[in-house]
Amino acid sequence: MRHIRAALARIAGVFSKDTADDDLREEMQAHLEMEIAENVRRGMRPEEARRQALLASGGLTAAAEAVRDQRGLPWAESIAADLKYGFRALRRSPAFTAVVVVTLALGIGANTAIFSVVRAVLLKPLPHRDGDRLVYLRQSMDGPGGADINFSVPEVRDFRNGAPALGSIAEFSPWFGTLLGKDDAIRIDVGLVTGNFFEVMGLSPILGRLTRPSDDGPGVPAVMVLTYDFWMKRFRGDSSIVGKQVRLDGSSLTVIGVLQPAPWFPDRMDALANMVISPHHLSAVMVEGRSHRMTAMIARLASGSTVDEAKNEVAAVYERMQRDNKGDYNAGSHYRIAVIPFKEALGERARLTLWILMAAAAFVMIISAANVANLTLMRGMRREHELVVRAALGAGVGRLRRLLLVENLLLTLTGAVAGLGIAVAGVRLLTSLAERYSPRASEIRLDSQVLGFTLAIAVALALLLSFLASLPREGSFAERIAAGVRRLTGDTRKQRLQRGLVVAQVAVSVVLLAGAGLLTRTMVQLSQVNTGLRAEEVLTMQVPLLQIGGGPSDGTDPRAWFRTLLQSDAAAKVRYDQMRREIAGLPGVIEVGVGSSTPLRASMTSFEVKAEGKSVPVGDATPRADFRTAAPEYFSAAGIPLIKGRAFAATDGVGTGKVAIINRTLADKFFPGEDPIGKRIAWTGEVLKFSPISPEWRTIVGVVGNTQDGGQDAPPRAAVFMPFTQELAMSGVIVIRTDSDAASLAPTVTRIVHRIAPAAPIENVMTVKQIKDQSLAPRRLNAALVASFGILAVLIAAVGIAGVLAFSVSARTNEIGIRMSLGADSGRVQRMILGEGGVLVVLGLAVGVAGAFFATRFIRGLLFGVAPNDPTTFVSVAVMMAAIGIVACWIPALRAARIDPAITMRST
Amino acid sequence: MADKLDVKQGTLALMILKTLEGLGPLHGYGIARRIEETSKNRLTLNYGTLYPALLKLEQEGFIKAEWRQSENNRRAKFYALTATGRKQLARETREWHETADLIAAFLAPRREAP
Repeated sequence: MRHIRAALARIAGVFSKDTADDDLREEMQAHLEMEIAENVRRGMRPEEARRQALLASGGLTAAAEAVRDQRGLPWAESIAADLKYGFRALRRSPAFTAVVVVTLALGIGANTAIFSVVRAVLLKPLPHRDGDRLVYLRQSMDGPGGADINFSVPEVRDFRNGAPALGSIAEFSPWFGTLLGKDDAIRIDVGLVTGNFFEVMGLSPILGRLTRPSDDGPGVPAVMVLTYDFWMKRFRGDSSIVGKQVRLDGSSLTVIGVLQPAPWFPDRMDALANMVISPHHLSAVMVEGRSHRMTAMIARLASGSTVDEAKNEVAAVYERMQRDNKGDYNAGSHYRIAVIPFKEALGERARLTLWILMAAAAFVMIISAANVANLTLMRGMRREHELVVRAALGAGVGRLRRLLLVENLLLTLTGAVAGLGIAVAGVRLLTSLAERYSPRASEIRLDSQVLGFTLAIAVALALLLSFLASLPREGSFAERIAAGVRRLTGDTRKQRLQRGLVVAQVAVSVVLLAGAGLLTRTMVQLSQVNTGLRAEEVLTMQVPLLQIGGGPSDGTDPRAWFRTLLQSDAAAKVRYDQMRREIAGLPGVIEVGVGSSTPLRASMTSFEVKAEGKSVPVGDATPRADFRTAAPEYFSAAGIPLIKGRAFAATDGVGTGKVAIINRTLADKFFPGEDPIGKRIAWTGEVLKFSPISPEWRTIVGVVGNTQDGGQDAPPRAAVFMPFTQELAMSGVIVIRTDSDAASLAPTVTRIVHRIAPAAPIENVMTVKQIKDQSLAPRRLNAALVASFGILAVLIAAVGIAGVLAFSVSARTNEIGIRMSLGADSGRVQRMILGEGGVLVVLGLAVGVAGAFFATRFIRGLLFGVAPNDPTTFVSVAVMMAAIGIVACWIPALRAARIDPAITMRST
Repeated sequence: MADKLDVKQGTLALMILKTLEGLGPLHGYGIARRIEETSKNRLTLNYGTLYPALLKLEQEGFIKAEWRQSENNRRAKFYALTATGRKQLARETREWHETADLIAAFLAPRREAP
């Protein structure tokens, strides 16, 4: 209470200064006169009485000052004065202020933007309740598509029984289906989940309810939970959707709730459903087949258990599993398991890229901070005189330091505000990058923590700058004032610091440029990789017509269900044929083909494959190949070259012998140095039992070239094509080759397809060129970002070099004037300054190249077709930096050469 | 006038409050004189010590000030104790005695244990 009252009184005191001052003066005057009167009464002479009274008072001015300090808020008032002074000082040197603010804004903006992404994608706690207790289990094996192969029901059961540290386990199968709307249909990704899934994951509904254990097993009603994003996108956040029925493939499901926003892993999901909609998941073959791996496992650690304990237990269980079931874990394929904290799994693909970008941004920050430090140092030397005078007039060192701090805070905070503007724009760009790498991109925000980070940078910089400038020491004023000379170059210690900063700038720029150069070369290498396709103007689209749903879980007889499936298949094939014929009739269309998969994209299914009379050497990975179907025109339409044999023909029909076309990779694997035509291959493995695919022998009739189906940077994948007519018409893809702009054909083709199959979703309408570009886009953006950081760094460094040299020249005007009047010609002076700068650039280059040799090792994982120490890149980076450095030195050197000795000598 | 003591931090406020309690409303000069006399001139109060202390007590609400005619017909600022000031004085007096007792007990020569 008393403190609050006192504080209020003091704040009021700030505003009633003048009357209070008059009051005080009168009060003290009265005091003095009473004391004089008393002294006189004691017998002193009047002058002596006054003298003694004044002596006892201890100084009226000092007393008034002490009272004033007690009255108002002295520190606030003097800071206000400092601020006013700082503003004035900065306004007086607009060029300095502008350069510093812009430099800082770029550095702080880049860092703020990237930090906001790093925080959202890698650092922020998960939205899941106690999300740090969740672990993701990943089973992998060698070969394409083997990075994450999920788990089978028996495997999940083994872990549940044998690894108590895993606590509770949530199961989740990625699935997809066609969701019927009022007048359209879309393909959606659906996760089939166990009833305990949301409980284990620690997620809550924002509407309705989530699945629970009573939703498990056969014979229960089919229910669906919508993810937040899908609910907003498809149903525009309509809350009346809860309780309604939706049609997914053949089944009818009740929407029971909407899930809170949450990141998905490994794949984005639109909705979650209970297992009952998939006859497959409830069938005995799935439940018993150890190699039938369709389930992702996420576990919540038992209370008290650590990730390490879970790892040990899981490893022990896995070893036992492999020992007891040798047939299901071919040693050559190197089956392995990993237990990964869920948050890490979510950030896995983004981590390297993001830390590299963060490091690049930090480098830019270092360079801009060095530049600002240099500018401040130079300005500090020009102001030394002023500071000495202020000190002599009674400002203590502490006060001067505070003045500098306030001024620097003004600078860095202005820079930070401008940087935030840059960050807002940058975050939008970065979010589109992060979406490709991380399921958490939607969480990217410039929130209070990010703003705190920005503020911390600004304050730290201001502190650094304030303590970098050396202040006149107490007691040295007289000496300095007496010296009275303008010592603009500062002492050698400061000069060395300045030069050191320039060398550091050049070095850091070189490292950044080297990184940018390597990433750019990677881009060039990747875009030069031959896709394997002979045509560019090819339009592709996915039009799934086959209805797989319904099935035994609806109470249907399995054989009846299979009959329905075959009927649906036949009907679909008729429609595909109709589409093919109509599209082929369009002007500009050269060829139209139908198949199960899009060129340049991995097939969704791959199986083990074997060749007649060939055995796989012990210790080799089990051969696998992508499963693809193709109508006779498919290869020619997609531009896939036929190397040997023939393409499919209309005669390869339902009734005729089973045939296949393999790609070069598989031909080289099974038949090195032999002619594969006429040889036989077959799909194999336990998994076939659970699929409608027949394991019978198929005669090879042709070999086609490899295409980059796993992306431009992936090794080619083995593939087997079968006639479209001989297999189920899975996920039909239409491929259209045109003689000119393929993309312009899209609307017309879409109209035709929609007319023939009004209820079918039409998806991924893209040209092969777009598919290729899309696979390169994240890397391109990545390279562009690092490159722009590199260019930014070089520009800032160039300004730094030019600034330091220009300053050195202006400080040495007299010396240069003397040299010139003693006979040095302007060329010589120019060479002298060039040499001065050149030494710095060369030193910086040397340090930078050494640093780059070390630093580029960390981006090895992002490179393709270029070594981390690629000599071409290093040499061109060095040449570029040297060139820019020389230009930066040239400007002040020219200025030095133009100094007129007569003028400088006279002005001394 | 040989050894003048500086006023110990925090004790001046107590002295001022006590003075005002004993003598009633008083101007700064009167307060200073009274404190110096009570200390038998071992303390001197210059203005730079006295007036900030008075202002602080006023800000805290323990005393209030008022311009009045002094005994010899001069305009002077008179300070008077407020009700809260009276309470504060009682509290500080008690605390001061306790502290003094404690320090005295501490500094007293101890008997050797038998």
